Amino acid sequence: MTRQAKGSDATDAAEAADLLVTVATTLNERLAVTAEELARSQVLLREASDELLTAFRGAADRIVAAQKQTPAEENPRADYGVVLDHLYKAVQHLQSHDLVNQLIDAQKLRVDKMREKLGEAISLAVPPVADPRQAEQWLERSRAMLDCIVAGIRQIDEDARPPRADKQRAGSVDLF
Amino acid sequence: MKTILAVDDSATMREMVAFVLESAGYRVIEAEDGAHGLERASATSCDLVITDQNMPNMDGLTLVRSLRELREYKTVPILLLTTESSDTMKAQGRAAGATGWLVKPFDPATLLEVVQKVLR
Repeated sequence: MTRQAKGSDATDAAEAADLLVTVATTLNERLAVTAEELARSQVLLREASDELLTAFRGAADRIVAAQKQTPAEENPRADYGVVLDHLYKAVQHLQSHDLVNQLIDAQKLRVDKMREKLGEAISLAVPPVADPRQAEQWLERSRAMLDCIVAGIRQIDEDARPPRADKQRAGSVDLF
Repeated sequence: MKTILAVDDSATMREMVAFVLESAGYRVIEAEDGAHGLERASATSCDLVITDQNMPNMDGLTLVRSLRELREYKTVPILLLTTESSDTMKAQGRAAGATGWLVKPFDPATLLEVVQKVLR
């Protein structure tokens, strides 16, 4: 390979390495915004869930207490059945709130871990390569960055375990 | 009065399960994970255990296996109440000694039907 061709290879590799750093940095900035929005969404959802739960508890505690006072020979459902039905519906929806909260937790963990790995990958771009005329050095650095990102993505799938909400099977029962 | 142990790391989910069961006249005790559930089950005689699968410290399947090793829980019904719905997981639950598998979010009426059935 001629000296000129080697120089051209090194320039291409350096440009590719710079591009990789730019992509990783931009992605990390976007993920920071996503993390912030997820955190805000969760705060809003938690506030709403807490209010709903407080209202639910108020009604549920009264019903359970009133049922306990009902003599055993009387059928408590006759008196409280309609209210119970409404509360049972609330139970289903409050569970969904809880599942969404858990999903957001898992997504936040995913985003935070990915940001951490992108940060590590970006840090590999410092210090500058020892000999910028050597394409191999640029390539090695880019490979190390990509390996770091890929390892991060694999790790994220192992760490973040979102609840599997299978709508078709929700509420299903199997007795063995 | 029958005593039911509800094990789930989500306080909201435990509260929902407890309300539905208490509204039907059952006594409910709670635990926040499998390890705590095993402690509570060992300390109190329970007629039924309802447990989540994915929890810190000890998951639901490990709890089922651990309970089945205790003489008092050889025949006590144990239900898994979880978002996991794959056939593979259900097969693991069955092999561990679980009595049944319910997928979240649960329908209160269905939960009560199942509870009545397994307590019969």
